Amino acid sequence: MKVKIKKPTGGQVAIAILLLVLGILISMQIKSVRQSNELKNLEKARAIELAEQINQLRKENVSLRQQIYDLEKKIKEYQDSAASISKTTELLKEELDKVKILAGLTDVEGPGIIITLDDSKIPAQPNVDPNSFLLHDSDILQVINELRAAGAEAIAINDQRVVSTTEIRCAGPTISINNTRYSAPYIIKAIGDPKILKNSLEMRGGIIDLLKEFSIEVKIEEASKVVIPRYTGSLKFNYAKIKSEGS
Amino acid sequence: MIVLIIALLVGILIGLFIPISIPQDYSSYVAVGLLAALDSIFGALKSNLKGDFKIDIFISGFVGNTLIAMLLAYMGDMLGIPLYQAAVVAFGVRIFQNFGEMRRSILIKNKSFSKEEKNQ
Repeated sequence: MKVKIKKPTGGQVAIAILLLVLGILISMQIKSVRQSNELKNLEKARAIELAEQINQLRKENVSLRQQIYDLEKKIKEYQDSAASISKTTELLKEELDKVKILAGLTDVEGPGIIITLDDSKIPAQPNVDPNSFLLHDSDILQVINELRAAGAEAIAINDQRVVSTTEIRCAGPTISINNTRYSAPYIIKAIGDPKILKNSLEMRGGIIDLLKEFSIEVKIEEASKVVIPRYTGSLKFNYAKIKSEGS
Repeated sequence: MIVLIIALLVGILIGLFIPISIPQDYSSYVAVGLLAALDSIFGALKSNLKGDFKIDIFISGFVGNTLIAMLLAYMGDMLGIPLYQAAVVAFGVRIFQNFGEMRRSILIKNKSFSKEEKNQ
């Protein structure tokens, strides 16, 4: 077949112009599609990277915690060996143990109660504020306050020891305790006279009555042995100093 | 024919070097529109071969089909129905049909040419 180069007809010119436009659009579209694919891949890569970082930090966290335990064990050994040296150090150690319980720096056990609080199981109804059927930081605070008033000696929320610096704070849908976030259910453990603790919580018009009105799930158990773990956060006092004698 | 291919290639080159790309949101509509345009081009090539090419039919088809395809895709997105599939299927089938007819007519013409040459 011979290829004859004919003079382009009017139709061919029109097709040529439209093909030119088509070509421009095609390559623009290809660029656009390629860009969007790159963007998607970038996002995927970023997510993977972040997940890896989280894993890495978790591992670090575990090893650092292990280090803390090891160092504390060593301190305890030193204290024990010091106590065996003389009577004065033995007395000092007894004093130290007492202070540690007070400050929440040792695991403690004893009789007490275990309170389990959970959000209401009632399905959400129209025209009713769903917030009133959820547990709030203020509810937890009131329970803790009541326990303290009833003579609780050690308190922990979800195994976070309540110490002098502990905050119980609303953090979105969770509650922050010792800078760790927890969602419902909350398990509050307290050491003290189980009867007194339970009665003070359940007194008429008290906090539990109030919570039950909003159908919050409350369970109180008396226990002859409650184990409350130590405070694991850092203790740093930048501003409070011991008052100097005579001033 | 050569002029047309050159026009297409020049267009693609211009598009590549223009620092503009189609916004992501409109990308899917443009894709369907491109398919409609491609269908019109094939239709034009076929009628050019057959000799009944009419420029007004071609231009109205090119512009109209493209717009309707894009509108259909957009409406599908609004209504939650993948209407762009209708455009993809319709234009896809037509492109193959047109190509088939072009193939046939070119082959038949060549055969008849070679017969004529033998006869002469």
